[in-house]
Amino acid sequence: MKNFLVFVHKELLHIIRDPKSLMIMILLPLIEILLFGFVLRFEINSANIAVYDIAKQELSTQLIHRLEGGKRFKITVANSMPEAENLLIAGKVKAVLCIGEDFEQKAREGRESSLQLLLDASDPNIASTIETYISATLADFWADSIVSAPAPLLKVEPLLYYNPLLKSVYVTIPGLISVVLMLICALMTSISLTRENETGTMKVLLISPLKPLQIIIGKLVPYLMVSMVNVGIILTLAFTVFQMPLAGSLIMLILVSLLYSLCALALGFLISTRAKTQQLAMMISLAGLMLPTTMLSGMIYPIKNMPLWLQGITMFMPARWFVNILKHIMLKASPFSAYADDVAILLLMTATLTLLSLKSFKIRFK
Amino acid sequence: MQPFISATNISKRYGTTQALDNVSFEVGKDEIVGFIGADGAGKSTLFEIMTTLLIPDAGEGYINGMSIDRDYQKIRSCIGFMPGRFSLYQDLSVEENLRFYANIFGSSIQENYAMIEGIYTLLKPFGKRKAGALSGGMKQKLALCCALIHKPLALFLDEPTTGVDAVSRTEFWDNLIQIRDSGIPIVVSTPYMDEALRCDRVAMIHEGKIMDMDTPKEIIKAYKGCLLGIFTGERYLAKAIVYRLAGIESVYTFGDSVHINLPTCHPQIMKQIADSLKQGLSAEFQLRELNPSFEDCFLQLMGQAANER
Repeated sequence: MKNFLVFVHKELLHIIRDPKSLMIMILLPLIEILLFGFVLRFEINSANIAVYDIAKQELSTQLIHRLEGGKRFKITVANSMPEAENLLIAGKVKAVLCIGEDFEQKAREGRESSLQLLLDASDPNIASTIETYISATLADFWADSIVSAPAPLLKVEPLLYYNPLLKSVYVTIPGLISVVLMLICALMTSISLTRENETGTMKVLLISPLKPLQIIIGKLVPYLMVSMVNVGIILTLAFTVFQMPLAGSLIMLILVSLLYSLCALALGFLISTRAKTQQLAMMISLAGLMLPTTMLSGMIYPIKNMPLWLQGITMFMPARWFVNILKHIMLKASPFSAYADDVAILLLMTATLTLLSLKSFKIRFK
Repeated sequence: MQPFISATNISKRYGTTQALDNVSFEVGKDEIVGFIGADGAGKSTLFEIMTTLLIPDAGEGYINGMSIDRDYQKIRSCIGFMPGRFSLYQDLSVEENLRFYANIFGSSIQENYAMIEGIYTLLKPFGKRKAGALSGGMKQKLALCCALIHKPLALFLDEPTTGVDAVSRTEFWDNLIQIRDSGIPIVVSTPYMDEALRCDRVAMIHEGKIMDMDTPKEIIKAYKGCLLGIFTGERYLAKAIVYRLAGIESVYTFGDSVHINLPTCHPQIMKQIADSLKQGLSAEFQLRELNPSFEDCFLQLMGQAANER
C-alpha cells in the first residue's frame, strides 16, 4: 500500500511539473464545450418565412402579427403565389405560409379552415422544426382568438415534458459533456504508459516490487483528480452559460460524472497498453473515439432511428448510458432506480476495461 | 558452492538476427564481471534477459537460486538494474528520483544511506535540481544511486559509463569497487577496453557469443604470438607496407602507432619488416616488441572469430 501511494505521488508530480499539458487538459474541454454548445443547435432563431395572405382580413392579419411576435420568424410578405415560391426556391425563405381567401369566414362558421404551408425540406431538421413551431403558434392563436370556434372533432394536443420549450441545449449539452469527458480522460491516460516506454523508465519500473494492478490504478487515480476539475468546469458551464436545469441531485450528478470519467480513463489506459508510441496513442484516443462517441451516444442522432446492428454497437458506448443518466438527473429528477441499470453498466464497463488493461499490460519486453 | 549468478546456454533471436548464441557464464558473490563488446554484440539483450525483462528463446538463468523465468517477481524486487539509456524521471529532482526508487522497494533514503554515501555526497548539492538538467556523469551517478538505494542482492549495469568523461568514469569505477567490497556482486557491460582491467573477470562478447571469459591478466597472458609496434608519423603508409608482407597475421593502427601480430618475433622477420619500412617511409620510425594490451587481446579474439566463420 505504501509503495502504491508513493507511485501516485510520483504521477501527481509528473502532472504538476508539466503545466502546459495540464492547461491543455483543463482548457480543451472548456473551449470544446463553449464552441459546440453555441454551434450545435437545432432550434430556430429568426427563420425567414414568406406569407402570402390572400384573405387580408382581420383574423389573418392577427395571425401574421402573432407569428411575427415571437422571435422565431422574420416574415416577408409576398403578394402572389409565384412570388412566394420564388423566394422559397431562391432559398431566401425556409417556408411559405399561404392563408386562403375563406380563412376567416370558415373559421367563424366553425368549419374546418385550412392553411397551406410549403417547407424547404432540403434541411429536414429545420423544416420539421418550423412546422412544429407554426403548428404550435396556430394552436395558441386559435385558443386565444376572439373567434368562438367549436371544438374540432379530433383534437391532437401534444404535451412536451421535460423540455417544453424544445430547447436543443437540453439535448446537446448532456451529449457534449459525455463526448468531451470521454476524449479528455482517454487522452490523459493513453499516453501514460507509452511515455514511460519511450523514456525507458518502464524498464526500471518493471524491475521493482510494484504489481501491474498497482501501476494501473496508480496511474488512474491522479488523472481522476484532474477529471474532477474538468467535471467541475463542464458542469458550471452547463448551468451558467447554457442554463441547463438541475432537477435532480447535484451530488449524484458529480458522482456519476466521476464514474464515467473513470471509465474513460480506463479506456485510455487500455489504449496505452497497446499503442507503441505516444503519438499513436493520442491519435487513437482523439480521432478514434471522437466519431463513435459523437455519433453513437444518441447525442445527435436518436438511437431508435438507427439500424438494429448499429443500435447493438451503441450498447458498447459508455457515452450512451451516461447521456441517459444525465437526462434523468438534469431534466427529470428521476429516482435512482430509474437509472440504476445505466450506472451498473458503466461500473461493469470500467471494471472490464481495467481487467483488459491488466491482461494486456506487458510485464516483459519483446 | 553454487555461483551467485549463473546463465546456461542462453539464446535469443530477433527475426533473422541471432542476438545471443548459447551464452553461459557464472558470477560469484564477490565479483565484478564485465561484458566487453562492440555495439550490437548482444550485451543489452543479455542484461535484459538476466533482469527478467526478456524471455530467452532457450537456456536458463539463476540469481541466488531464483530462476529468471519462474521467479521473476522475486528477482525484480531484490536486484538493481541500470539500463543502457538514462532511465530516470527527468522532470523529477535528484532527491525525488532517489526517494521514489527507495520507497517503491519499501525502503527509505535514510535506511540505506550508507550504501550510496560515497557517491551521493557529490550529488547532494544538486538535490533539488531536475534529473534532466544534470551532466552526463552526474546522471549516471544518480542512476547508480537509484539502483543501489534499496540494497539489492546484485547489480546489473548496462553500459553505465557510456558518454561519460574520463575523470567521471574513473570515479564511477572506484564506486563500483566499493560496492563489490560491501558484498554486492556486479555485472557490468562496457564498450571501453580500459575499464575491463578494473573488472575481476571479463567476458568478451562478439556477435552474441562469449569468445573468452577470464581475469584480465589471464586474457592478456593468453595472447597468441608476439606483438610489434611501429612508431611513426606515417601510420597509414606503414600499415600499407607491412600489410603486403607475407606471414603477417594482422596489422592495425593503434593510437599513435601501428601494431603487428606475428606468430613469433624472430629477429629475421623483424629485420625484413624494418627494411621494407626503411624503403617505403620517408620519415624516421621505431620498431620494437610490445606487451599486448587488453585491447590487442580483444582484437585478436575478434579476428579469430571472423576467420572461423
